[in-house]
This record gives sequence, structure tokens and C-alpha cells, in this order.
Amino acid sequence: MKRLILLSVVLTGLILANCKSDDDDNAVPAVDEAQNTLILSDFSVNVASAIYVDLATKTSNLQDDIIELTANPTDITLAKCQQDWKAAREVWEQSEAHLFGPVATEDIDPRIDTWPVNFVDLDQQLASDNEFTAEYVNSLDAALKGFHPIEYLLFGKEGEKQAKDYTDRELEYLNALSTNLLDLTAQLAGQWLPASSGNYIDEVSNAGKGSNTYKTQREAFEEIVNAMAGICDEVANGKMTEPYEQKNAALEESPFAKNSVIDFTNNIKGVRNVYTGKFKTDGHGLDELVKAHNLSLDNEITTNIDASINALGNITLPYGEAIILQNTQIEAAITAINELQSVLKDKLLPFVQEHSN
Amino acid sequence: MKERTIIRIAAVAAIAIVVYSCIEPDERPETPADEWLAGGSQTIFDKGVSAFSSQFPSLLGNRGSVHGVGDAAFGATFVSAPAPLNPGLGPIFNNVSCSSCHVNDGRGKPPLGREQNTSLLVRLSVSGTGAHDGPKPAPGFGLQLQQRSIFGVRPEASFHIEYSDFVVEMNDGTKYTMQRPNYIIEDPYIPFPAGLMISPRIAPPVFGLGLLEAVEDSDILSRADEADADGDGISGKPNHVWDEMKQQAVIGRFGWKANNPNILQQSAAAYNEDMGITNFIFRNESSFGQSQGVANDAYDVTDSLLQSVAFYIRTLAVPARRNANDDQVVRGKMMFHEAGCASCHTPRLKTKTNVSFPEISGQTIYPYTDMLLHDMGEDLADNRPDFEASGSEWRTSPLWGIGLTRVVNGHNNFLHDGRARSLMEAILWHGGEAAKARDNVKAMPEADRDVLLKFLESL
Repeated sequence: MKRLILLSVVLTGLILANCKSDDDDNAVPAVDEAQNTLILSDFSVNVASAIYVDLATKTSNLQDDIIELTANPTDITLAKCQQDWKAAREVWEQSEAHLFGPVATEDIDPRIDTWPVNFVDLDQQLASDNEFTAEYVNSLDAALKGFHPIEYLLFGKEGEKQAKDYTDRELEYLNALSTNLLDLTAQLAGQWLPASSGNYIDEVSNAGKGSNTYKTQREAFEEIVNAMAGICDEVANGKMTEPYEQKNAALEESPFAKNSVIDFTNNIKGVRNVYTGKFKTDGHGLDELVKAHNLSLDNEITTNIDASINALGNITLPYGEAIILQNTQIEAAITAINELQSVLKDKLLPFVQEHSN
Repeated sequence: MKERTIIRIAAVAAIAIVVYSCIEPDERPETPADEWLAGGSQTIFDKGVSAFSSQFPSLLGNRGSVHGVGDAAFGATFVSAPAPLNPGLGPIFNNVSCSSCHVNDGRGKPPLGREQNTSLLVRLSVSGTGAHDGPKPAPGFGLQLQQRSIFGVRPEASFHIEYSDFVVEMNDGTKYTMQRPNYIIEDPYIPFPAGLMISPRIAPPVFGLGLLEAVEDSDILSRADEADADGDGISGKPNHVWDEMKQQAVIGRFGWKANNPNILQQSAAAYNEDMGITNFIFRNESSFGQSQGVANDAYDVTDSLLQSVAFYIRTLAVPARRNANDDQVVRGKMMFHEAGCASCHTPRLKTKTNVSFPEISGQTIYPYTDMLLHDMGEDLADNRPDFEASGSEWRTSPLWGIGLTRVVNGHNNFLHDGRARSLMEAILWHGGEAAKARDNVKAMPEADRDVLLKFLESL
């Protein structure tokens, strides 16, 4: 008897599911492959590739101004370098909303953005007479190169650096570090651009059409949405929560430039870039797909992105101080970003799965 | 869907329910649908760069938080002491964090050129046996080469690989160019001892290990056939290794030669040997007793953090199969079985009942390993015994997730030192007990080889 009941439940379920999908099919076709191709292509060209090219450009500006600082160390040339660092950092943090492809698989992320800095070894490097050739610096541990050692040398441990403080060795090391950062960011840009064979623009754009990495368009969409949700998780539950819960400012990234909250904000802005298909040039974004089928989901995503950015804006102190003094603001921001993460993971992900093959 | 189809499905479902209700789960014939859930109830459906990085889906509340703490520690970069954050690196080491070798919780790749910052490490020993019948440490170097160091300390030596090409021909004349590695270990900080044995090993993926840890010893032993009593040419033998916590020899499960007993000890050893991070299981620095050694002070990682990292690894979920019902994949699976691959790459295992850890209790999983050692022939041999594993024996590597290597790690390098640049190259390197299966693949027509690869990529 039980078996019969179970069978009838199965039958009823099947019939209901059947009727429901028929109704939906009469509205908009679920999968528009041509539109999906446009979205994947514009993500690759207008967002990912464009952002890495811009990162390399901003890093190149930093290198130029560090050369100038070396020739003429004044507080004006130093301020320019500090601005350049922040400008490059802004682009890098936005790019973290799509941490897949060469940046993840070629091990570039740790080499340009490792925290903490190995201060002991860094001081000993400066005290030594090792020649800071490009090859030598490239062989150094990740904790001795990339954004944060450069930040430390440009801003000082308490953000107090002045041009007159520089030793020759510090300037030599800064030059070598900026060259190394430029090499890596240029390599990253090169891996997305059509000039190189097996470039990642093609890997994503041609998903389901010969891509070695993504056998279907759906896999590429899942990768993109998972990365968007992933950075929200990383910001809310890693970068923000770890220093906050442990009340340990040593866990904070970008403390020397007091840039952490700006970093978090740029991470979320990166999510918006991906969603709208726009870094500088506007393109076909995921938002087009969402708007075609589900306006309230689009509204929910954009509202949550804005709410997250606004909540971060309410943290007015450097993060290392805010973890003690601005608990309410930090908790509100963590909550907002976690809500954004849930919308992306629990609603946008199934949505793109339904609307791609 | 037409109504008639629904009736048919319902009829099939009814028959299935009637049939399966009378059969014990273990004896129930396998259906293609089963295999989608490679990790049983702890399967996830991410197919992208994070496919190996998800926590168990049913891990809730505080257990999820512990996983998160372990996750952060797994990614933490160690630096020279003293430091406000993560001090204690080295003085000699292979890498600076767990995730710098196990990138995205996945598979490492062989070093490029002469880079020393790599996800491959080299095990060392000299002939004879050391403590607890393990390998005998190389005097002055220990059991592992540390080719990197903090400032002011010399690395033990440098290591790189040079390759020479050779061609393997399939029975139908198709040629594969393979690369044979030649290991070069040079520039030692003191002269190498005579008779130094080396074994390069790539960082393996770390997901699903909690489930493999939960397979009953007796289940593993039931597949062992050391003397090949059944005469199928496949032996299969367990390794027995020293368990530091239990202070006794137990069955080895992890590592390329099943040379580690469990996840906790494996993690503690990796902290110690790979990063120079001391802990309550391995209290001495890896350089202890060497001329560059340092005094041991406090443990670099706390007991609770080490336990959290082990818990993190134990609770990394398994990605689901893709396209398991695709016609070509189904045919490829037949080829896999017909060629004899499944004799060692056992598709299905079951985990034991464990009421205190429900997530890993009583799961049917599809790791494609028997967890046993097999003689893989001269070409793959490292000629360095490791506990009971001979110089030519290796543990059957799990194949689950292997098709996601490219998207997670950006390469398709396989085997213990990453020498194979594709799945077919990996197959062609198989020798010893696996020679017959390999030859069966070489004898396949191209269409059959293609579907075999499609099947492997679906894992």
C-alpha cells in the first residue's frame, strides 16, 4: 500500500512539473544562445581583458613615477607614487570579482597580492648587498613582493613615510618591485588578449564552441556567478570578519595606505562591473539576461550591490581602528554583503543555469 | 512531456521501487544515476575554478565555522619570525602556505625551468630503514629536500627536471610524444651522502579525503591480493605506516605511496616539512640537528588550528560527475572496465558508519581507487622504498575530479611528478601490473580511445 501511495506521489509530481514547464515555455524562450554568446564575449572583452590591460597601464604609471621619485625624492614625487599605488590597487581589487582563469591558475594572484609582508626578511634584504635584478626579485618569496611590500615602502608602517626618509636601498628595491609587478600584470593582460594562442578571451567567449576550459556556455556562466558570489564571501567572511572577530589589526590588508575599506568597496564594485558587463565600455551584461526574464531579481541584485557599497561607506575610520570603534557599521556592512552573496548564489546562479545550455 | 511517457516512467519507477526494495543497498545493481553523486551526500555541483574548494553541503552551524577557520589557515602565508602575523616560516622550506602548493585545493604542476618556488617536493632517504620501519633519513638532509630558505640560510640544494622526448606508438600507428624526466639535484649546502635516493612528488588535490579516510580498513584489505592468489596479474597491497598519535603501525591511506595514515598527521607533517612550521605532532624543525638548524621553541601552530586545518580538508566536498549519461561517456566507461582499469581504479567504495560524524557516515562514493599499492613498472619507479611500498609501487590515485584539473589548475599534468601532459600520456606511462590494461588501451581503435578519454573527463 505504501508503495502505491509513493507511486501516486511520484506521478502527481511528474504531472505537476510537466504542466508548470509548459506554461513557462509559452512566455520567453528560456535559452537565447545568441544573447548568451554576446554576454560571455562582452564579459571577456569589456570587463576581464579591459581591466587587466588597465591594471598593467596603472602599474606602468607607478613604475614611471617611482623612477622619478628615485631621481628626485620630494614629497610631491612621493605623493604621486602613493596616488599611483592606490589607482592600481583600485583596478586590481575590482578584478578580484572574477578570480578565475590565468590569475588563479598561473599563480599570479599570490605573487602580486600576498599578505602579510615578511618584514624580517625584507629588512635583511635592504641591509644586504644583494643586487635587486628582475630575475632575483622574481625568485623571492611572495611575501617580499607585489602590492603590499610596495605599499609598505611608499607609505611606511604608520602611513608616515616622507621623501627624506628614503635610503638608496629602499629606492632600489622599490624600483625592482614595481618592475616585477608590471611584468606580472602585463603577463596577465597578455594571457587574456587575442594575440596569444589559447588566450582566455577565446576560452570564455567560445564556451561550448571549442573552448578547452568550458565545455558548455552554462559552465562559463556558473564560473562567472560563482566568482561574483565568491568575492562577496571573501570580503564579508574573510577580509572583514577575521580582523573584526579577532580584534587583531595585524590581519588587516592594506593597512599602511589605510586603504582596506576602499579595497572592500572596489571588490563589490567589481561585482557590479561583471553584472553590468561594464568596466569602461558598456556591453551586454548578465543584467540584460536577468531583465529579460525577471525584473524583480535584477532589482534585488542592484539594490543589494548599492546597499553593500553604501554600508561600506559608513565605515569612516581606517579598518584597523574601525574593528574597535565602529562595530555597528562593520556588522551592517558584513550583513549587507552576505545578503548580496545569498542573492547571487541562491537566485542568480540557478537563474543563469536555467537560461543557458 | 507526453502523458504516455509519464505513464511509462511511472511504470518503470514502480517496477524499480518494487525490485530495489527487496535488495540490500550493497547488492543493488549500479545505475548510471548513482555515479553522478561522486561524493555521496557530500557532492557539490560547482564545475569551475572552485570545484575542489566547497565545504560539505550538509555541514552546518559551528562545524561550518571550524571549516572556515581551517580554510583561512590553509591560505595563510607564513613569514620569518618574529612577526605579528603567521611567524615561524623555515628556516628551510618548500613553500609558504598550504594553498601555495595545493592551489585552489587542487593539483600541483611540475616546476618550470629552474624555479624553486613550486608545488613539487622531493622526498629523500638512504638505503636501510629508519624509525618505525620507515625510510632512513639522508644524513644532513632528512626525509625531504627543502630547496628554499629564509634570508641568511642556505637552501639544502636546488632541484629541477630536464626532459627527453620519446615516442610511443599505438597499435593503429598513432604516435604520442612523451617526456621522460631526468631529475637534477645540485648545489647542496653540504655534500650529499652516498646512495641518496630521491622521489619527486606533486601536491595532490585535497578534496574528498574525509570520505577516503572513512573507508573501513577491512574494506581496503578485502581488495588486497598481495600474492595475486586469483592470478589476474593484479596484486594490490596495503602499506603499513607509523601513526604518531596511536604510536603503532596502521594502514597507510594518503600520499603517493600511501605513506601517511590520516589527514591530521599528513597535515602536521606538511606544516613541519614543507613550511618549517612546528606543531604538537612534529615538534622539531625540519632542520633540527643539521648544521644550519635552529633551536626549537614554541610550536608555530596551535593545536586547535592544526585540528581546524585537518577538519577543513576532511570536509572538502567532491564535485559531481558531468555528462555521466552522455552516450559517448557511457561507452567510454565500458572501455575503462573492458581494458581492466577498474581492477585498481575501483569505482565504488563505501564509508563506515560513524554516528559522531554523520556527513561521512555510510556514504557510497565513487573515488576510483582501491587505496592499495601496485607495482607500476620500471618506467614509473622512483626506486625509493617508503615503509612497505617498494621502489616501483605506488598507491592507486583517485580519479574523481580529474576532468576538472584544467579549469581548477590550468594544466593537464598528471602522475606523481607531473610528467604526463595529458590523460592519455598518463595512461601510457602505466606499467608493471597495469601494463596489460595499458596495452589494451593501445590496441583500441581511435574511436574507443576517444570515448575512454571522454569518460575520464566526466569524472
